[in-house]
This record gives sequence, structure tokens and C-alpha cells, in this order.
Amino acid sequence: MAKRVVIDPVTRVEGHLRVEVEIDNGVVKNAWVQGTMFRGIEQILKGKDPRDAVHITERVCGVCMTSHGWTSALAVEDAQGAKVPRAAQLIRNLMAGALWLHDHPLHFYHLSALDYVDVLAIANYKGKDSKLLALKDKVMALVQTGDTAPLTPRYQPDSYSVKDPDTVTTLLAHYMEALEIQGKAKKMSAILGGKQPHQASIVVGGVTNYPKKEQLEAFRTLLNDVVSFAELVYIPDVVSVCTGPLLSLGRSGFGAGPGSYLAYGGFSMDEAGSKKLFKGGVISSKNPGVVQELDISQITESVASSWYREGGPFTPWEESTEVDLDKKGAYSFAKSPRYNGEAVEVGPLARMMVLQHSGLLDLMSRYGIKPGAIARHLARAKETSLICEAMYRWLDELEGLLKTNAPIHDTRAWEVAAQGQGVGLIEAPRGSLGHWVKIENKVISNYQLVVPTTWNASPRDEKNVAGPIEQALIGLPVNPDNPVNIVRVIRSFDPCLACAVHLIHTDGEKVVRV
Amino acid sequence: MKNVGQFCESGYQRLERKGVSRRDFLKLCTFTCAALGLDLGLAPKIAEAAEKNLFKKPVIWMQGQGCTGCSESLLSSVDPGPEQIILELLSVRYHPTLMAASGDQAVQSLEECIAQGKYILVLEGSIPTADPRYCMVEGKPFLEEFKKAAAKAEIVIAVGSCACFGGIPKAGFTGAVGAQEVLPGVKVVNLPSCPVKPDRLVGLLLYYISQNTLPKLDNLNRPEAYYRFTLHDSCYRRLHYEKGEFLEDWNNPNTLDWCLYHKGCKGQETYTTCAKSWWNDGANFCIYSGSPCAGCSQPEYYEGFAPLSVNPKEGK
Repeated sequence: MAKRVVIDPVTRVEGHLRVEVEIDNGVVKNAWVQGTMFRGIEQILKGKDPRDAVHITERVCGVCMTSHGWTSALAVEDAQGAKVPRAAQLIRNLMAGALWLHDHPLHFYHLSALDYVDVLAIANYKGKDSKLLALKDKVMALVQTGDTAPLTPRYQPDSYSVKDPDTVTTLLAHYMEALEIQGKAKKMSAILGGKQPHQASIVVGGVTNYPKKEQLEAFRTLLNDVVSFAELVYIPDVVSVCTGPLLSLGRSGFGAGPGSYLAYGGFSMDEAGSKKLFKGGVISSKNPGVVQELDISQITESVASSWYREGGPFTPWEESTEVDLDKKGAYSFAKSPRYNGEAVEVGPLARMMVLQHSGLLDLMSRYGIKPGAIARHLARAKETSLICEAMYRWLDELEGLLKTNAPIHDTRAWEVAAQGQGVGLIEAPRGSLGHWVKIENKVISNYQLVVPTTWNASPRDEKNVAGPIEQALIGLPVNPDNPVNIVRVIRSFDPCLACAVHLIHTDGEKVVRV
Repeated sequence: MKNVGQFCESGYQRLERKGVSRRDFLKLCTFTCAALGLDLGLAPKIAEAAEKNLFKKPVIWMQGQGCTGCSESLLSSVDPGPEQIILELLSVRYHPTLMAASGDQAVQSLEECIAQGKYILVLEGSIPTADPRYCMVEGKPFLEEFKKAAAKAEIVIAVGSCACFGGIPKAGFTGAVGAQEVLPGVKVVNLPSCPVKPDRLVGLLLYYISQNTLPKLDNLNRPEAYYRFTLHDSCYRRLHYEKGEFLEDWNNPNTLDWCLYHKGCKGQETYTTCAKSWWNDGANFCIYSGSPCAGCSQPEYYEGFAPLSVNPKEGK
């Protein structure tokens, strides 16, 4: 008989996430993914000065604030016909890039690794490395006083867990090192942004911070530290763990999503934005391997399973966000974004598939790794490499431009347009991010965010098609008494629930909680 | 299993065993003094008290309607760094973004810690009062869970403007309020700003752990040292304000450090130390990056200050 299992809260993700699954004979038969927090950011924005949207939406998420602020600026700039100077584009690239270098290692070490690494195997470390021995002493001191929080309690390590004491100890040392590195990456972004989290310098029309020479020097010094950690520690760790102890998981296609992928593309490499670091495009599961051109008019959102007034599916331009807390059949306030009617995965794996990144595809085919949770970690590491390399190009280009007193702001665009509509589309660390804005009488008349986690954590649509994370969970082998596989798969998407602002929880029936 | 709080050895001996030198420890205490605006000569005294009292203080960190930015902000603390804070200074029993445990194990950690008492409770994010369904944890209203945790906490710290006064969510329809409003009769220490400024939180924690008491608070229950003066009072652009020199164009190299009042700066109404102690390890702060103060540490923020970017001379 099927057993219903609830995990609430799902921790080590951004925000409030609850998951319910039905497990039959050790396999997930059905899954419902729900966010449990709602703020109503879109409603707050109605009637406000469009320039405020940048400030407000960066506070949608304290992890990917630069992505939101930037996207919001792009949307309003689109509506106002602004032309952002190249130097400002580069400063935005560098600020956001710094946060990718913060985000991806943090996701691997601090949000995911504890699902795969048996931390307490450090007790068996017999090596001679003095740094690792000091770490062992530190952790063992915690164990002796019975206070190993926040590393325990945890789900029990299983047959896939990394238990080799040398590997575990090294990874834990890197966990600590990554804590320092993520602080440095935020500091980099703050040098150009004023502070982090929640930078101040991105505004409609460009940026406010005319970088001084010493600021760019400080930025470069930190960039060297952060890049060397990414290139020499983080990326090799991910590759060796995913092609080593976790290879069998990778080969099984554990946590495969719908097989359809979407990327808007992002990080312009030239002023016109004709060349981008990440390409935009779509891959349909009906036609795998073929990258189609992106047509944003194909994006709609369904509210069939959502606590919103029935209607649609609508495009983001036409949508409203009218709460209906008592709607029958709804189980989440997440809307269900669909591309041409399909549930599509967004994020690092989607980006690298759309890019047809040979480094990742070769690695996957050499080791027989199928798209799924392990491939997502690999894709995240591989794209970090692209960012590392691009950061230096952007920084060099910016230094050159500033020598000529290049502008950083389109001053004409500071004046709010009487009316207009605009869209901002970029790639955020967690996937494709879009803001849609309508301006009437110089204020916002409608604002809609379609965020990466809404794509990935969407509920069933009007045709009863499950969202990508739900699809990734269905068919998953899970021990109902130790459902570590569920959190492994969920975390591989790096969900950000505060971003998925529509989400709200509905009361579940009494079920087994694990 | 757990026996926290029953240490025979002194706090300092424990620190030493974990590889924290006396020098490092004194540095932490000096840092606390500096951050709280205390006489630096007090550092050895704080250190002495801490040596006697210090053990890893249990912490419960709850997230309401927030964005995790305050957690991220704490992690961006540089001296002490996050590793020291998480593993040496505190015993983080419940933190949704950091803890290994999920689901029932996480809830169990929370409940055990509450049963033991003597912990610091931190709130990040606001609390919805219009309908409990706007923020649920473990299928229960967050408001009730938070009140339960607050009832047995030694102190309650509200970090960030959402947790203090409702912040941005207060402008919406979820009835978002800060911690104090749902905890009448309990003294909540407020550390407003968006996000929380990490040196303030670390300074407050160190002070409390070493002194077993709170620093002087103002009428909004903020540590007075952090919120005594307006940003305008110590702004390095102040002279330009007095001369009537206001930045109008961010591209003009001759006016880059002029006053940002015409860009909507709220520095005159905002009580904060930002202009004195910058953000991200002293890297920068809003004004130095050419951006007007948005007043993010004030109770009025956000709705009361909207629109943010309008030149007050032209009126709202």
C-alpha cells in the first residue's frame, strides 16, 4: 500500500519548501511540491514609481538579489526605451558574475554536500595533513561535547554516501574554506554595488557607482582568490565526486526532469547584446537534442492548481495575481509557467544543454552520466568555469572604457515614461528569470515575475502535467524511513522559494512525517 | 545525548582546545567594543568575563516572510568569519538554510532546544497576521511556532527591517508585522536595516554572551550605539549639502561626490552608522557607491518612504 511521506521544512534551500510524496514499493508514485510563504511583492509594486521596482525586487531574494535588481532594471528600461551604456552593462555583469561565483560553490558545499558526505567519517582520518588534522580535532571536540549542530542530526548515510575518511575530511575542509570564499565574493560585488546582500548601485538607466581605480584593483585581487578557489578546489571537487563515488547515481539518471529545457540567455558580451555568454533557446522532450529559437510569446502561466482566481492560461502581460484562498483543487499558490504548453526545466543543466556545451556533454558521455541530479551538479561546476574566464574579459574591457570617461548611466531614462510596457529576461544562477512590467500614468499598473523556481517547482497545470521537480521525484527510489534521495533531487535544482513569490501552502491531510 | 551548558572547564580553555588563540579571542572582544562604540580599553575586561562564561550559546534562527538576505549577511561577516561564528561561538540548533536536518529531524532539533531553554532566538523576516496561511512551517502557522520558541528564549533578536517593523512585506496585504508586535510584554532587541548589518549582530551576540546582559537600548529597542545618529550627521558628502551642491548626473566626473538629496536620499531621517562603519568588511556602502540612502533601517521603510528616487524639491 502506498505510504504518504511529508518533508517540511525542506532545509538547505532558500525559503520555505514542503514536499509530499506517495511511496509504493520503495518508489515515488506521486509528488506535490509546495512553497509555504507568501509576501505579495507584485501587489506591493502596483501603483508605485517604476524605478522603485529595482529596489523592491532585489529584496525578493537575498541570495540572487543582483539578478532580480538587474532584471527589473532591464524591464523598466525596455518600457522607457533606455540605452544602457556599455560600462554600466559591464559593471552589472561583474556584480552578477561575482554572485554566481558566490552562489554555485555555496550550493555545492553548504546546501548539497551534506546529503552525500558522511561527515562523521572524519573520525577515521589517519592522514598526516596538519590542516586536516586540526579540522578533525575541531569536529571531534564538538562530538565529545555532544554538540555537533548544525552538522547533525541528519538523514542516515546510505550506500551512495561518501565515507572514505580522506575524501570526507578534505571536503569538509573545503566546506570551511568555501564559507570564507563566499564572503569574499559578496565583498567583490559590494565594491561595485555599495553593499551585499541588496546592492544599491543598479538603477534604471545604468549604475550609480563610477568605479575608482583602487576599487577595480581591490576587485581584481579578490577575483583572483575567488577564481583560484573555483578552478582549483570547487570544480575539481564536483567533477571527482560526480564521476567517482556518485557515478552510479549519475548513470542511473537519478532525478531526471521532464527532458525539456529553456534558457533566456544572458551576460552580453558586446554593447548590442548580440553575443551572449549564455545562449537563449529551448529544447523540447519531443525533439531531444534540437535547440529551437526562443519565442517568448509561447510563455504562459496556468493557475489550474493554484490558489488564484480561475482563468487563463495567460501570458505574463495579461496576468493578474488575485488570491483565492479557498479555491477547490488547488494545492499551491505557485502558478505553472509553461513553454508552448510544456513543463520545462531551467537552471545550469538547461543552460548547458541549450548551449550544447561540449565540455559537459563530453564528460557525460565519457562516463555514461544521464541528465538528472548528478548532471545538474556537473553543469553548475562547468558553467562556473565560463563565468571565471568571462570575469577577466569584462574587467579588462571596463578598465579600458573608464580611461576614456565612458558614461555609466542613460540620464534621459531617469525620467519616468507616462506609459509603456517592458520585459527583462536574464539567466540567474538558478535559471531563467523574467520580469514583466506595465506602466500607466507614470506608475506601475502591472508587474509579474516568472522566476526560475516557479518554472521548476510549479504544480500541475490545466492538463494535469506535473512540474519539473515533481516529475523528477516521480519514479525515484526512496526509503520511506530515510528519504534522503528526495532532498538530494530537490536540492539539485537549487530551489529559491522566496523568489517563487506566488507560492503559498494549503493544509495537507494527516500523513506520515519524516 | 546532548549536555550543552554543563562544562567543567572554562570557556577560554575550551576555545584554546579548539585552536582559538588568546590573541584571536582578544581580537574578537576588541571588535565587539569597537562595534558597540565602547571604550576599547574594555576589551580585556570583556575577554576576562567571556573566559569565565563562554560556552557555545544555543541559537534558534527562524525565518518568517523574508528573503534569506539576513542569513546571507551574517555569512558575509569577515572578522570573525562564518566558520568561527557557526562552529565556535554559537551552537546553531535550528537554521533552515544551514542545518543538515530536514523535515521531522529539523523540527525535533527545534523542539529539543526549546525544551532545554537558555537559548537565543533570532527572527529573520516578518510575520503575517492577516491569514496564517501566508507563512506555514511543518503544516502549522509560523506565528504560533515563533511564539512558542519566544516563550522560553533568553533573549529575542529581530534581525533586519522585516523582523523589526514589517519592512517591505508590511506594504502588502498579508498583515506583515515585526516580532515585537506579536510578543507584547517580551523585550525584543531590534537590529533594523535591509539586510541586517553583520557587525551589529555579531557585536550584540558577543556582548550578550560575554556580559550576560544587553547593551543600552533606545526607545525602539535598538542598541543605542548603532542607531543614535542619522546618516546625514556623519555623511562624507555633508559639506556639499551645506553648499547646496547636489548630484544630478551620475556621469559628470566633477560632481561624483556631491550630495544625493536630489536623487531621493533619506539620510537626514535615517538613524544608522552606515557612514561610519561601512558594509562587507569595509568595502563600501550605499552612499559611497553613488546611491541615495533608501532609509532601510527606519520603521517607515518601505511604504512610508515611497517613491524612493524622487527629488524632494519637486515634491512627491
